[in-house]
Amino acid sequence: MTAARIAKTAAYAALTAYAALSLYPFLWMVSGAFKTREEILDGGHLIPRAPTFDTIVTTWNQLAFVDYFRNSLIVTGLTVLGVLVVYSLASYAFAVLRFPGAKALYWLFVALLFVPGITVLLPVVILENRLGLLGTHMGLVLPFVNGTAPLTVLLLTAAYRSVPKELREAARADGASEARIFLRVYLPLTRPAHVTIAVLTAVPTWNEYVLSRVSLNDESLYTLPLGLESLISGTVVRYNEVLAASLIMVLPVIVLFAFLQRYFVNGLVGAVKG
Amino acid sequence: MEVSRVARATRWKEWLTGWAFVFPAVALFAVMGVYTIGSGLALSFASWNGFTPEWIWVGLENYADLLWADPSLAPGVRRAAWNTLQVCVAVPLLTVLISLPLAVMLNSVRRLRGLLRSVYFLPYVTTGIATYYAWRYLLEPEGSINLLLRSAGLGSLARPQGWLADPSTALWTLILILVWSSVPTATLLYLTGLQAIDPSMVEAARIDGAAPRQVLRRIIVPLLTPMTAGIVLLGVRDSLHGFQIFLIMTNGGPGGHTNVLALETYELAFFKGLAPTLGLSSALGWLLFVGAVLLTLANARLLRRVR
Repeated sequence: MTAARIAKTAAYAALTAYAALSLYPFLWMVSGAFKTREEILDGGHLIPRAPTFDTIVTTWNQLAFVDYFRNSLIVTGLTVLGVLVVYSLASYAFAVLRFPGAKALYWLFVALLFVPGITVLLPVVILENRLGLLGTHMGLVLPFVNGTAPLTVLLLTAAYRSVPKELREAARADGASEARIFLRVYLPLTRPAHVTIAVLTAVPTWNEYVLSRVSLNDESLYTLPLGLESLISGTVVRYNEVLAASLIMVLPVIVLFAFLQRYFVNGLVGAVKG
Repeated sequence: MEVSRVARATRWKEWLTGWAFVFPAVALFAVMGVYTIGSGLALSFASWNGFTPEWIWVGLENYADLLWADPSLAPGVRRAAWNTLQVCVAVPLLTVLISLPLAVMLNSVRRLRGLLRSVYFLPYVTTGIATYYAWRYLLEPEGSINLLLRSAGLGSLARPQGWLADPSTALWTLILILVWSSVPTATLLYLTGLQAIDPSMVEAARIDGAAPRQVLRRIIVPLLTPMTAGIVLLGVRDSLHGFQIFLIMTNGGPGGHTNVLALETYELAFFKGLAPTLGLSSALGWLLFVGAVLLTLANARLLRRVR
């Protein structure tokens, strides 16, 4: 009994310690966002001595956060929408319809998992430069959508395959068209998988920096990561403002996560099992 | 006769429907995938700076320059390859070593399990520039990591230059932050794996007199091997493909100590001004691709043998 209790206490101690480690940078983010410029240089203490809202207000006013949020929402929203429309159609075909080339195409999309993003980054930029897409939001959305293909096709095809075939036969016997079966039978039954895909696409898109940095030049089109970067590119880094801006940027993601937690969880498990 | 014509018509209809459904995905892939992969491969055999109208064909010269021929390039590439390899091995390994015990412990407790799981998940959700900047702040010379060490009487371990500016700690600091952001998914996967284990199996072993440690070693860990394989494969892939953290936190510095192949590819592609490095960048991107495939195959084979 005592041995079991010791084991349990040790487990809780270790679990709490790791929880603290997980939260560590966020605690300092909050702490720094409420410190003045003088106090952040003083460093060392987590709880601000004289908490102030000034830092958050100054940071908010200094950067065009409203623009950055709007741009990030446009890019993330269009990417999620594109992914859902394009790959739910394709995955439905792979899972349900029989046509020549289905299998080869399916494996082609899955095999793309092994192509590093960096290998195609330069050609994408060159191509978009030619097409006049470089530097626009569309120029970000199209490669982002294409980049999610492997995982999305894998997950959605598995989801559609899990729908009993009899439902489709019954709907066809009633004279329903393929599009109608897809929209009225399959989509409602696989809604969780679609929310999962939306979330798994939205998070990395919201944080994307690599392609955005080399394509966006016009400051009015900047997304949040680029806006945040502009705070740190000067010679003197004001960490209280950097931390305040970081907090402003991650807060919506944390709120989204709190509401959609179970979809994250199921989605990631599905991704690996698939 | 009549029947077969009807059958043929319905078959054609199904084919057309199928092609129509996959058309948007294939069209996007044709432009963003096939075309770019193809032109990237072509460019890897040429010399170009992005501005002149013509490419100059150089055959395999770019590959030779990167691997051995060009003394101003090859040593840097080799070092970046060595750094990449360390990241590829250390990140998945440490992730497994931390997240497996974490998941086993989390699975053994009832109270606070949901809350802890949510907290553990935060680093995954927010990973990116915002958390990287927060870590940068913590790793500064007067940042909280150094202060924490000093106040714990471990001042000799503190890095007066800051953890990211010190050549001896920079790479491993980044590796640990990568582990920090990949532990959440791994823990979650192990947790689902643990919950899928039939409790009667563990019970039977216990009745037969197996100690808890033996149960863990002989039953639980082997049953989790498929999860481990998935975590390691994804971890190696992410370590090879991802370089955002290196770009944002150190940009390869100090003095190339945290340069990785993907970052080198990025630099050659976008930050060399008028120098004709685009072909080199493409060639390096392809070497990375081939390396990724080989490493994945070797890994899958190794894991299958273990299983």
